[in-house]
Amino acid sequence: MRAIVAVAIALVSVLAAPLSAQAPRPTLRTPDGHPDLQGTYDIASMTPLERAPGTPLVMTKEEAARFEKERADRVKRLALPSNGDRSAPPAGGDGSTGAAGNVGGYNNFWIDNGTEYYTIDGQKRMSVIVDPPDGRIPPLTREAQQRAASRVARPTSDAQENDLGLEGPTAYDDMERRPLGERCLLGFGSTSGPPSLPVLYNNLHQIVQTNDTVLILNEMVHDARVVRIDAQHLPTTIRKWMGDSVGHWEGDALVVDTTNFTDKTRFRGASEHLHVVERFSRIDAKALRYRFTVEDPSTWEKPWSGEEVWPATKDLLFEYACHEGNYALGNILRGARLREKTRQ
Amino acid sequence: MRSKLLMSAAGLLVAIVPVMGHHAFGGEFDPNKPVLLKGKVTKLEWVNPHAWIHVEIPKENGEKACEFTPNAKCDEWMVEGGTPNTLLRRGITRDSLKAGTELVIDGYQARDHSLNRANGRNVTYPDGRKLFLGSSGTGAPTDGADPTEAAKGRGRGGR
Repeated sequence: MRAIVAVAIALVSVLAAPLSAQAPRPTLRTPDGHPDLQGTYDIASMTPLERAPGTPLVMTKEEAARFEKERADRVKRLALPSNGDRSAPPAGGDGSTGAAGNVGGYNNFWIDNGTEYYTIDGQKRMSVIVDPPDGRIPPLTREAQQRAASRVARPTSDAQENDLGLEGPTAYDDMERRPLGERCLLGFGSTSGPPSLPVLYNNLHQIVQTNDTVLILNEMVHDARVVRIDAQHLPTTIRKWMGDSVGHWEGDALVVDTTNFTDKTRFRGASEHLHVVERFSRIDAKALRYRFTVEDPSTWEKPWSGEEVWPATKDLLFEYACHEGNYALGNILRGARLREKTRQ
Repeated sequence: MRSKLLMSAAGLLVAIVPVMGHHAFGGEFDPNKPVLLKGKVTKLEWVNPHAWIHVEIPKENGEKACEFTPNAKCDEWMVEGGTPNTLLRRGITRDSLKAGTELVIDGYQARDHSLNRANGRNVTYPDGRKLFLGSSGTGAPTDGADPTEAAKGRGRGGR
């Protein structure tokens, strides 16, 4: 009997040993010894890129909880039934702003833009941007302002689709003047990166890793970034929508350096000289830490940096055949032709 | 005090953050052409970047025979929604909205008025319930309002 108890105690202690060793958990690693960053991540977040002037980077957990509850309450409110006997919305527009463009966009149930703020080092963050410390993108240089003013259209990777169809006389002249998202070339709002930013929906990103290549697959528009490890950048004559990305390991962080952007990507008004450095590292088995620094001396007075958490999700990344149902672009261009006739 | 300051700051934050989407609805639809469509679903285009719901609207001089209203003529309209991927993750598929389902849609017509196309500003069942939310008989398993319910959806494994 005593022997059985002794064996049982020994067995329990053997079983317990790996449990206690799990804290702190060793970083997951691939066979070549580097941290294993693979997985699918949903970066939807309430934390905006910039925050309002004069507000702190970090809010208390109580404040965050209150805003998060407000968001949840709003979603519930918008899901409540309407009047089935309602009439058509008002002529002249319903006053909605942003992408809803004074015509009301579509129901809220299509939206999936996060239920919480990013929590980083235990801090609830009010902006992605951590540097400059005011959480704002630095002012545009004079050169960038002139560049923006001289352009008739802005086919940018993060176009703010907040015009009311009255963007300017030439913005609708042909499809190549329309924003990259509208043309299904890149996802809107820099969801494709770099840098990868949280947007209105479809915030899923999948990382696949080998010893010489890391793939970052973005759900929206099915954009795939292929990062070559320990490689040289392509010749500067070769320019790409999402730039050319090469990576290397610095300790347990994957550092991805991206240059060779086209002059059409124009992230936040940047030129083809945009340079983005990203750092991916594991927080634990369930999340990555993502940091980025953006610089382009021809666009901003100084570099700026942001920080996000990429939580792993068991959700699936779905196909995104963006051209399949893009009736919108045709409708927009037809609308513009008709407006021209009315003006003449 | 700090809390009040933060509240107003958060309000401001909401005001300055532009809503970004695939495209500007204002360029596509005409704010001067509001429409109210009452009809039945004929087809669902469950595609990106935006799903399109086809409905037939009974009309005296309609373009074709109605599929779901005997001996009547109908016009077919296309109604623009959002990305289907978000709903797929909640377990809602193109089979969730059956042909013949009656809907009430309000929105604005495409700027090209020769097209029977509108945005689905508000798409509901005749009793006012929002499409895909809390519905019965459409196969939609969750109402989408409660994130914890999403884990029960077919396409979603939970977090």
